[in-house]
Amino acid sequence: MEYAWLIPVAPLLAFVIVGFFGNKTKEGGGAIALGSVLIAFVLSILVSYEYFVTSGLFDSGEAYAPAPFQWLVFGDYALNFGIYIDSLTCVMLLFSSFISLMIFLYSIGYMKGEGARKRRYYAEIALFLGAMLGLILSSNYLEMFIFWELMGVCSYLLIGFWSYKHPEGDAASEAAASAAKKAFLVTRLGDVCMMAGLFVLLFAFKSLDFTTLFDPAEIANVDSGMIILGSLLLFGGVIGKSAQFPLQDWLPDAMAGPTTVSALIHAATMVKAGVYLVARSYPLFIQSADVMLVVAVIGGVTAFIAATMALNNMSLKRVLAYSTVSQLGLMIMALGAGGYVIAMTAGDYHASLGYTAGVFHMMNHAFFKALLFMCAGSVIHAVASEDLRQMGGLSRKMRITSATMFIGALSIAGFPFFSGFWSKDLVFESVMNPYASGLPAGDIFLFLFALALITAFMTAFYMFRMWYMTFKGKPKEAAEHCHGESPKTMTVPLIILSLFAVGSGFLLFVGLNDIITFSVIGGEFMVGGNGKTAEYLFWHVLENKWTYVSLALSLSGIFLAYLMYSRRIINPARFNMGGRSGLYRFLTARYYFPQLYDQISLKLGYGVAKGVDYVDKNLIDGTVDGISNAISGSSDTMRKMQTGNVRNYAAIVIIGTMVLVAVLFILVRFGGV
Amino acid sequence: MDFLSSLSIPSLPILPLLLILPILGAVFCFLIKNDRRHTRHMAILFSGVTLALSLLLLYDISSRGYVESESYAWINTAYLQMNLDIGVDGMSMLMVLLTALLVLMVAIFSDTESERSNSFFALIMATQAGLMGVYLAQDYFLFFIFWEVALIPMFFLIAGWGGPRRHYASMKFLIYTHVASMIMLIGIFMLVITAADGGVLNFSFEAVKAASAAGLFTTTFQVVVFGLLFFGFAVKMPLVPFHTWLPDAHVEAPTAGSVLLAGVMLKMGSYAIIRICLEVLPEGAIAWQTVMIVLALVAILYGAYACIAQKDLKKMVAFSSISHMGFVLLGIATLSGIGIQFAIFQMFAHGLITSVLFMVCGIVGHNTGTRDIPLLGGLAGKMPIFAGFMMFGFLASLGLPGLIGFVAEFGVLMAFFDYLMGIDVLWPIVFALASLMLTAGYFTWAMQRSIFGKETTKIDMSNVHDVNRREGVALGLLCALIALFGIMPWLIMDVLAEMPLVLLGVV
Repeated sequence: MEYAWLIPVAPLLAFVIVGFFGNKTKEGGGAIALGSVLIAFVLSILVSYEYFVTSGLFDSGEAYAPAPFQWLVFGDYALNFGIYIDSLTCVMLLFSSFISLMIFLYSIGYMKGEGARKRRYYAEIALFLGAMLGLILSSNYLEMFIFWELMGVCSYLLIGFWSYKHPEGDAASEAAASAAKKAFLVTRLGDVCMMAGLFVLLFAFKSLDFTTLFDPAEIANVDSGMIILGSLLLFGGVIGKSAQFPLQDWLPDAMAGPTTVSALIHAATMVKAGVYLVARSYPLFIQSADVMLVVAVIGGVTAFIAATMALNNMSLKRVLAYSTVSQLGLMIMALGAGGYVIAMTAGDYHASLGYTAGVFHMMNHAFFKALLFMCAGSVIHAVASEDLRQMGGLSRKMRITSATMFIGALSIAGFPFFSGFWSKDLVFESVMNPYASGLPAGDIFLFLFALALITAFMTAFYMFRMWYMTFKGKPKEAAEHCHGESPKTMTVPLIILSLFAVGSGFLLFVGLNDIITFSVIGGEFMVGGNGKTAEYLFWHVLENKWTYVSLALSLSGIFLAYLMYSRRIINPARFNMGGRSGLYRFLTARYYFPQLYDQISLKLGYGVAKGVDYVDKNLIDGTVDGISNAISGSSDTMRKMQTGNVRNYAAIVIIGTMVLVAVLFILVRFGGV
Repeated sequence: MDFLSSLSIPSLPILPLLLILPILGAVFCFLIKNDRRHTRHMAILFSGVTLALSLLLLYDISSRGYVESESYAWINTAYLQMNLDIGVDGMSMLMVLLTALLVLMVAIFSDTESERSNSFFALIMATQAGLMGVYLAQDYFLFFIFWEVALIPMFFLIAGWGGPRRHYASMKFLIYTHVASMIMLIGIFMLVITAADGGVLNFSFEAVKAASAAGLFTTTFQVVVFGLLFFGFAVKMPLVPFHTWLPDAHVEAPTAGSVLLAGVMLKMGSYAIIRICLEVLPEGAIAWQTVMIVLALVAILYGAYACIAQKDLKKMVAFSSISHMGFVLLGIATLSGIGIQFAIFQMFAHGLITSVLFMVCGIVGHNTGTRDIPLLGGLAGKMPIFAGFMMFGFLASLGLPGLIGFVAEFGVLMAFFDYLMGIDVLWPIVFALASLMLTAGYFTWAMQRSIFGKETTKIDMSNVHDVNRREGVALGLLCALIALFGIMPWLIMDVLAEMPLVLLGVV
């Protein structure tokens, strides 16, 4: 574990090498980037193995946190750089580096035609991966924030990757540049909140190290109001990064980037950083039940509204994007509900179900959503379009892609025993928990639970609507151009990931049940250990009546999609009245969120800026010019002096200075002394 | 290191050399044959040696708490003491380094001024002499002389090599800052005369500081003189509403002039506020604290908003300087150790970053023939390296973590937050935080319209070429330093560690 710092360093080094010399190497640096992620993955396995097995740290429930390096010390404050490894770190490291490995491999095929611009792409994704792994290993909030922002920049650059020349034409190029800016600014709003949170916590604790902040003795010494304020501000960062309501709208636009980027950054890793931050900050967040209630409500609302927006979207990638937002909402909601229960329970608390559900769903979602995006990428690669209306009938031409995407869709819909099934039902149950235990805000959680059930129905529906429109039915114009299945570098990762989409849920029963847990024991916080037994969890899910309700809803969602888009028994147009329905237009307009953002930035940004510019030109500068004109205009002599000859001015100025100095000297010499 | 210590550095009179070399450089540049290459090489040689000497000085004083001073008798009578007192501490050391570095970068970068290149480089070296003098002076008279010396060559640079409205801009620059200097001079005289208390008029910093410590300055006196001096320095920084000379001067100035103007000249104002106002007028500072905070917040927000409305890329960068210098004042206005430390940090950071920005503006204007953002577009296609530098500079300026600007901004805001917690009023921080959004807004918007998107058809792009080698070297070095100090901020913090303690002993 002493070498854990090498995990982010490997891709960062690749970034430097590819950035400067990429064009001289194979695949524009692709091979180097792939090598670096392989190193990171292998190191992650070794580090995790050491943490869980050989070091004995896991058994004693401790985190590996060596003395950090002092980065910046000022006043009473110390900011450090270090690594912090616990069970959560290991889980995050493993799935992030593994999925990145798959996506980098896939990129080799996907980016083949990009020519010299591949260098930029590989450099940027390597930088991104370095930042993501750095964030996971960070030992304090400032370090996290630094990597957090670096990821934001990579996201910005990669969304805008095709802004110069988009495969779909000029309009798409402009859209990419605009989407990149939007993503950067909207997440920046969250980041500024998070930065304010850092100030609050730094002021309160005089440090941002996890070892200090998660120490119950330190927490007891700090004013609880500061912790609540700090937690809420940190959560502001989560809302931006993980695209939660009301800052969710940047993510669908971010689909303007290459599909690999959408899979890696906007589905599997970066947007998970917010969920990770909530899980990581549990010791602080659970100090207040209200904070956790806010977290849960934001998550629930996001899950619901994002799912509704996916219902009638016609873009393959955007459906997936809304689905990502919606699923992120589920994770946040589960974490909030779990934290709420702990916060309301005085004393010891073993293995929070909400925590396990949220983190577990995050991991499963990373697998099946990366898979779905890569399948979408494979389709787009083949038909050069994202419009669902132009596809159809592709399953015959692209067997592997259609089969793996079907698996991904089943998994996200929560089909029994696929990975999504297990984690989603845990999420539902954890949201039900506060109501079932009769806690004060139980009614709110009951409402959230209802939202979650409807979301599950909608998820199943829109995923299969998308799948049927893409792969079944009569081939439309774009689908006719399809030249068959994608190359091996693309299909092999699909097959590997589809295995995980089927099976990763079972990891819960072979160890994860004891790894992704959060407990409070004797006032101390503990990540990992004390988990419920695999047997308990297994039967718990199967015996719960709500499991069958959500299952029924999912299956009916799939069936409805089948009737509407495959058998065409129900005409979809009946629901939207040929596009004239108010609800339909409301959803298509994404609840008018883009307009809201535009209006706010127009009024608060550009509008005020115009005013300031006017004041500057007329009022302030006008006064300055006015004074100088009044002086120079008052006398003919002065006017003559405006000879325009620079040397004259200089002479006047110098002589003037000297005279002034001389006068003052004389005054001082004979007057003062 | 053995090699360095064997040089027996103390024997080398580095401090006076730092003043003499630029003057000599100016003279040599002016006298040699009017040949572009020769004068440029001469300038590079002199500024390179100056930079090397300042680094040597840094190394030399690192073991001695970063303080060094020397004194040479000049006017030394029974009534009057104006001596050549020069010296450095952590703050002036950083400013000396910044000056030496940026002049060298400018000398490497500038090659476009084909006509009268000997005068051009001579003026740059003369500006350097003035700037060095301001940062080295330990005597009020000396300080004032160099303050004016720095001003005049800059005026000629703008007037002689500027854009179409150069006469208006240079006159405005000269008159505006000169009026400010005169008011500042009155303040200085009041300080010195009161400090003398009927005895010998001693212009040295030390004598005035001793008088301040002895309690010779009454509160009323401090408040009045603080106001006079602060006005003089505020125009230089510049603070809203005394800023309008700056955008005009920048828009018309040649790139080299802009880099020096924004990179080091604006810092004269904030440097003097710390050095003079805070050091000798602590009660005045406390009385003016609220005003300073309000002015700082106004400058930060006003500058950022003005940026959004600009069409000229260079004017936008000029306004961004106003916004970022507002952060410097915000740090100073907290009157706390960390605030002052990070204010100086921000001065250094802004010096590096803004130089990149102005060089980028210079290249755009030169290579495409326009800096009008609506006319540009898709430059990344034809000028990928340029686009990389521009993006790097913009991201550094908007405070991307990992680069120097973030450390400075984070520190200043933390100091401000700390101060606000002390007085139990939190809402003003919202304004400072809002500016972070605005800054990100105008920079990303400008990038979207100028380098991204499809290639513009509004201007002729057929002959546009990318960054050439000398531009690349200058920009590359600056960018490397921005990243280096962003990753290793302690390199700067170490130099500043002792600084505020000395100051706060007085405050």
